[in-house]
Amino acid sequence: MAVGVGGQGVLTAARLVGEAARLSGHDAVVGQLHGMSQRGGSVEASVLIGPGRSSFIGAGCVDVLLALEPLEAVRAAPRIDTDCTVVVECTPVVPSTVGFQGVDYPPVEDLLARLESRCRRLVPLELTARVRSEAHPRCLNIALLGALDALDVLPLSAGHLWRAIERGTRPESHEFNRRAFALGQEMVSG
Amino acid sequence: MDGLHSLELDPLLGRPGHTAALLGNEAIVRGALEAGVSFAAGYPGTPSSEVTDSFARLGPLLADTGFSFEYSVNEKIALEMAFAASLAGVRSICAMKHLGLMVAGDPLSTIPYMGVVGGMVIVSAGDPSCLTSPNEQDQRHLGPMLHLVVVDPPTVADAHRMTRQAFELSEHCRLPVLMRITTRVAHSRASVRFGALTPPREALFQRDPSHFVPIPAHARKLRLEIPGRLERAIEFLDATGFTEERGEGTTTAIVASGAPAATCADLLDEHDLWSGLRFVSLAGLHPLPEDRLAALLGQVDRVLVVEELSPYVEDFLTGLAGRLQLGVEILGKRSGHFPVAFEYTPDVLLTGLREALDLGPGASTFGEAAPLPVRPPVLCAGCPHRSAYFAARTAFGKDQLFFSDIGCYTLGFGPPLETADALVCMGAGFTLAAGVARVTGERTVGFCGDSTFFHAGMPPLLNAIKEEANLVAVILDNQVTAMTGHQQSPTTPATAGGRPPGGTHAGVVRALGCQQVETVDPLDLEATIAAFERSRDATGVSVVVLERGCPLHVEAVTGQPAHEGTFQVDPSRCGSCGRSGCGVACDQGLSIPFERSMAGSRASREPPSAEHVSQPVAPCSVSCPLGLCVQGYAAHIAAGQDDAAVELIESRTPLVESVCRVCHRPCEDACVGASAGGPVAINDLKRFAIHQGGKSRALELPPDNGLQVAIVGAGPAGLSAAWDLRMRGYSVELFDAAERPGGLLRHGVPRYRLPLEALERDVERVMALGVDYVGGVRLGTDIWLRELLDSHHAVVLALGATDPSGLDVPGVNEEGPPRVVQAVDWLKAHRDAPTDLAGQIVVVVGGGNAGIDAARTARRGGAAQVTVIERLPRERLHASESEVQAAQEEGIALLCDWETLSLVRSGVPGLRCASTSGGQERELPADVVIMATGQTPSDTWLRPGDPVLEHGPTGALHVDPETCQTSHPGVFAAGDLTVQPNGRLTQTVTGAMAGGLRAAWGVDVHLRSELEASERPPPPRSWDWPVSAPPPLSVSEAPFDARAVPPERPAEERVEDFGEVVGLLDEETARAEAARCLACGQCGNCRICIDLFGCPAFYVDGGSVRIDPRQCSGCGVCARYCPNGAIQPVKE
Repeated sequence: MAVGVGGQGVLTAARLVGEAARLSGHDAVVGQLHGMSQRGGSVEASVLIGPGRSSFIGAGCVDVLLALEPLEAVRAAPRIDTDCTVVVECTPVVPSTVGFQGVDYPPVEDLLARLESRCRRLVPLELTARVRSEAHPRCLNIALLGALDALDVLPLSAGHLWRAIERGTRPESHEFNRRAFALGQEMVSG
Repeated sequence: MDGLHSLELDPLLGRPGHTAALLGNEAIVRGALEAGVSFAAGYPGTPSSEVTDSFARLGPLLADTGFSFEYSVNEKIALEMAFAASLAGVRSICAMKHLGLMVAGDPLSTIPYMGVVGGMVIVSAGDPSCLTSPNEQDQRHLGPMLHLVVVDPPTVADAHRMTRQAFELSEHCRLPVLMRITTRVAHSRASVRFGALTPPREALFQRDPSHFVPIPAHARKLRLEIPGRLERAIEFLDATGFTEERGEGTTTAIVASGAPAATCADLLDEHDLWSGLRFVSLAGLHPLPEDRLAALLGQVDRVLVVEELSPYVEDFLTGLAGRLQLGVEILGKRSGHFPVAFEYTPDVLLTGLREALDLGPGASTFGEAAPLPVRPPVLCAGCPHRSAYFAARTAFGKDQLFFSDIGCYTLGFGPPLETADALVCMGAGFTLAAGVARVTGERTVGFCGDSTFFHAGMPPLLNAIKEEANLVAVILDNQVTAMTGHQQSPTTPATAGGRPPGGTHAGVVRALGCQQVETVDPLDLEATIAAFERSRDATGVSVVVLERGCPLHVEAVTGQPAHEGTFQVDPSRCGSCGRSGCGVACDQGLSIPFERSMAGSRASREPPSAEHVSQPVAPCSVSCPLGLCVQGYAAHIAAGQDDAAVELIESRTPLVESVCRVCHRPCEDACVGASAGGPVAINDLKRFAIHQGGKSRALELPPDNGLQVAIVGAGPAGLSAAWDLRMRGYSVELFDAAERPGGLLRHGVPRYRLPLEALERDVERVMALGVDYVGGVRLGTDIWLRELLDSHHAVVLALGATDPSGLDVPGVNEEGPPRVVQAVDWLKAHRDAPTDLAGQIVVVVGGGNAGIDAARTARRGGAAQVTVIERLPRERLHASESEVQAAQEEGIALLCDWETLSLVRSGVPGLRCASTSGGQERELPADVVIMATGQTPSDTWLRPGDPVLEHGPTGALHVDPETCQTSHPGVFAAGDLTVQPNGRLTQTVTGAMAGGLRAAWGVDVHLRSELEASERPPPPRSWDWPVSAPPPLSVSEAPFDARAVPPERPAEERVEDFGEVVGLLDEETARAEAARCLACGQCGNCRICIDLFGCPAFYVDGGSVRIDPRQCSGCGVCARYCPNGAIQPVKE
C-alpha cells in the first residue's frame, strides 16, 4: 500500500509497483481512490500482487507500506500487518489544519515510535531535501521506489521496478527519475 | 482499423491478445472500441472521468475511422447525442457519474419506449461511501423503474468484456444498456487482454415515426413492446456469461452482485471458506435471471446476499421465494448481516460472512489509531478561487449568506473562507441564492463555476433576471473543469486545448438581459473587492465574472508555472506592530472580525511601497503622544467590537472621555487619508466607541510592592501618573490644591467641551484603583518637597503651568475700565456658571486654545460683542481649527495679525492695537479684556532646603526624555511643568497625559529596575519617531467616502448654555468611518494569512507563520493584504 499527500505521486508509485509485478510474471490489481484527495488531501493506493480480483485491502493485511509522509504513514497504521515492512519518508508535509484552531503536528519521532511498535521493520528515510537538490522535487515517489527496490521485500525480479518506471513515465523525466531512484537505493543499501 | 492497432499511438490501441493494466474506466473504453462504437459523449464527473478523458484523447487519433467524441455541455445533452447516433444506426456510448444520469432523466425515461437502433451504452459511475459525491445511489433500481437493461461488472476485466457485449445486447433487445459501475471498479487497475478493434459502421437515419415519435397514441403501443424486449435481454444475459456460478454446496448459497462479488470471492479464497458453498455472481441486474434464481432457491437452505447500498437482489429473492412458497432463508441487509449504507470493505464482508456461515468471530485487528491532524482537501496554493472568496468575505462581511455550487470552489465551504451556506447540485447555487433572497428579502450571493454555469447555471440566472431577484451572481471562471481533472469547458481557450465558441460569460449574461455585469481578475484583490462592493450596493441581479485560468491547468498546458518564484515571511515584520522595540506588545488576542476588517482596510490599497516598509508604524500612532493604536481601534469599531476598541484605548490612558473630547488631534493631521476624502475622524470614532462600549474593563492590579509615591498636581499628567503607578503596584498619594481632582480638565476646560459628568467618570477610573487623594493642599504652603521626599520613595511633580505670562503693555496694571482678567482665572470662575455679561463688550488678547475658550465662555455669558485679537496670522493660530471655527460660528470676531499696544483707560475704554504688518493702528472698545497670552510654571512652591531642580528660562523643569526624572534623583516631573527635549513646552492635555505615564515608568525604573519596569512599558516617545509627513501610500482607485462629521448643536442654540456642542456619530456613520481607515501601519495582532486566507502553503512553526516553498505557487495575493508587509518575494 502506498500513502501520502495529494500531489506527491502516490498513485503513480502504486501503478509502477503493479506494473513491475506484472513484468515479473505476477498478476496485480491496483486500487487508486482519488478525486477530492488530489487537492492536498490524504491519498492512498493499494497494490495486490497475486491472483486476487479486488483491489481492497482489509485492516491488518498490508505487507509493505510505502509512505511518502510520516503523518500519513501513521494514519495507515491500522491497515498494516504485524509482519509489515514500513518504508517512510520522514519529512512532514504539514496539513493546513495545523496552526488553525490550535491543532499541532505531532513530533516526527513520536510518529515513528507509533509505527515501530506495530510493524516488523521500520525503514525511516529522509530523501526530500536530497531529491530536491540532486534530482527534481517531484521525484520523491521514484526515490522511495528505489529504496523499496534495494530492500527487496516485494516479489519482483531484479531490475523490473526500474523497467516499469522507464516504461510508465515520460521520457523527458527519465534522467531525473534515474537519479532519484539511485538515491533511494543508495540510502537503503549504503 | 488494423493499422490503428498501435501502442505507440495510445496505450488503449494495443493489438489483439496484448495484455495491459487498465483502469476500469479505460477497460470500458477499450471494450467500446472493440465493439465498433461510432460516437461517444459525456460530461466529466468522478469517478467516471477517465472514460471521457480516454475518449477525448482517442477522438483525434481515430477521426479517420469515423469515430468521434464530444464533451457535451451537460449529461442530458450527452445522453441525447448518443441516442441520436443510435437512431442513425450506429453504436454509441455516453458516460457520466450517477448524479449526471439524474440530469439526463427526462430522455432516459422515454428512450426504452422508443427503442434504440444502433447499440447504446450508458456508463454511469456510482459512488458508494460518498467518496467524491454528495450522495450514494443504487442505480440498479432504474432498471425496473425505467425498463433499462442494467449491467454491473464486478471487476475491471468484466467491465471490458461486458462493455463489448453490451452493444450487441442493446441491439438484440433494442433497449439501452446502463453500464453501472462503482468507484471500486472504475478506479482499480488490473490486467485486460485486448480483443480486436472493430471499425465503426456507416450511419443512416431510417424514418420510423411509430417508434421515433412517442406521442401518447404511439407511446401506449410502445409500452406493450417493452416486456418482449426485456425477455430478449434475459436470453442474451443468460447465454453470454453475465451470471457466473461456482461450487456445488446444497446448504448455503452466496448471491453477490457488482464489486463486492469480487471482494467476497477473494475473501473466500483467502480464508478457504469454499467447502459446501454455492456462489452466484450476478452482473446482469435487470432483468434478473428469474428462472435460474428460482432453481437456486429450491436447492439450498439459505442464501446470503452480498450487494452494496440497497437490498435490491435480496428483496427480489425474498419476493420470489414467497411466490414459490419456498422455506429458504434469505440473509443480507434485512437480516442485519450487512450494513445498509456504504461500500463493503473486506472487514465488513468478513464480519457478515463469519456470522452467516457460523464461523465465530475472527482474530481482532488493530484498534483505532490515536487522533491525528486531519488533512482535508483544500483549494490549492495559488488558486484564484481562494482570492475570490477572500475578497467576497472582505466586501460582503460576516453576515452575508453565500450559496455555492459544484466544483473545486465547493472547497470554500470550510473555515476560514466559509463561503457556502448551502449547496445542492450542479447549477443550483444561483437558484438557492435567489430563492432565499425571495423569501427573506436579504440580498444574497450565489457562486457558480464556468463549466457549471454552462451546464445548468444559465437557466437559474435567466430566471433570477426575469423575477428581478435581489441577487449577486458570481461566476468563477477558471477556464477549465478543474475538479474532475481539467476537462475542457466552453471557455477553455484554444491555447489550452479548448474549442471556445467565442462568447464570454459577460456576453451571455448581457444577452440574458442583465446589464449589471463586470469582469475582473480575482488575483487583483483590490479590483475584486471593489467590484464586490459595487455589486453589494446595487439592487436587482448583479453579476461579477472572475476570470483567471486554473494555474495547474496553465502549467500542464504550457509547461511553464503560472507564476515565477515563491514568497516568504519576514519574521521581523510578521506579528509585530513595529513598536515592540519600545516594549509595546499587543496582548489583545486574535479575533476573526478584527482581522477581517484589518484585512479589508489593507487590501483596499496598493502593496506597501519601499518608503512604507521603512516606516512600519502608522503615522497617526506615531504622532499620538500616547501612541494609541488608532488602526487597531478603528478596525474593532468597523467590526462592531466596541468593547475591544475601548479596551485598546484604555490600555494606554484612563482619561478616555477627556482625551476623546479635548485632544488636539495630531493623529488626524498625520492621517494618510487626508488625500482621499479627508483624514479619518479618529477622535470622533474614539468617542463613539467609548459611548457604545462604555464599560470599563475590570483592571487587574498587581500586588502592592510596598513603595510609596507622592504626586503633586491632579491634572491630566498627575492623574495619568497615579493610574500608571497603581498599575505597577505602587501606593500613591495624590496632592492637589483643589478639593476635587482634575486640574486643568476641571478648572480650565469649559463644560461645553468636556461635560462635568464625563470628567468625573475619568477621575473615577483613576480613583477606583485605590489612589489616596489629598485635596486642598498647596505645595510650598501646606506641604514641602523635601518633606515629601523624606516620607515617600519618589515624588512626581505635575503642577502644570499656572502663572499667566502676562502682557506688559501700558495701562495693563491700572485700575478702572476696562476690567482686565487672566484667562486662567476667567475660565476657572466661569467654566459652568458665567457672570451676566449682557450688553458688554469683551476683547480677548491671544488666540490660543485658552483664548478661544475664554471668548466662547464670554459669549455664553451674553456678551454683546466678543473679539479675539491675535498677533499671529490666521493659519498659524495655536488653537484647534475646529474650535476656532466653532467660535466664529458663534459670532466671535477674530482679528488676526494685530498686536496690542496699550490699554485705553480714558474716553471709550478698550485697547489700542496695531497691525503686525505696520502702518495701521486702531482702538477697540472693551468693557472686559481677557488676557490669554499663555501661562508658565509657577516657582512659588520652592522652599529653602528643597533640592535644586534644573529648569529653563520660563521655570519649566528639564527632565530626562524617557523617564521624566528631574536633575534630582527621585524627583520626577510631567506635564506643563516640564520642557520637552525639543525645547518646547508640553502645553497639550494629551501630551501631559503621556508625560504622566512616562514619569510613572521613570519612577519604576528608578525604584526597581528597567527590567521590572518593562513589564509595563511607557508610551512610545513620539519625538523619537522619524515621521513628520504621511508616508507616500498610494490608494487604489476605489472611491473613498468623505470624512464623517459629527452633529453639532446650532450656534444660536448652544451659546445659550454650557451643554456639549459636538455630538456623537451615529452607529452606521461610525462603522463606515472606521472602515475608511487604511490600516497603513503594521499590526502585531494579526494572523490573517492563516485565519482568513487559509492557503495550504502557510503553516505555523513554533508560533511563527511560515510559507512552505514546496507549496507556494508565487501568486502573491497574500502579500497584498498582509498588514505588515511581511510577505515578500524570495530573491534568487
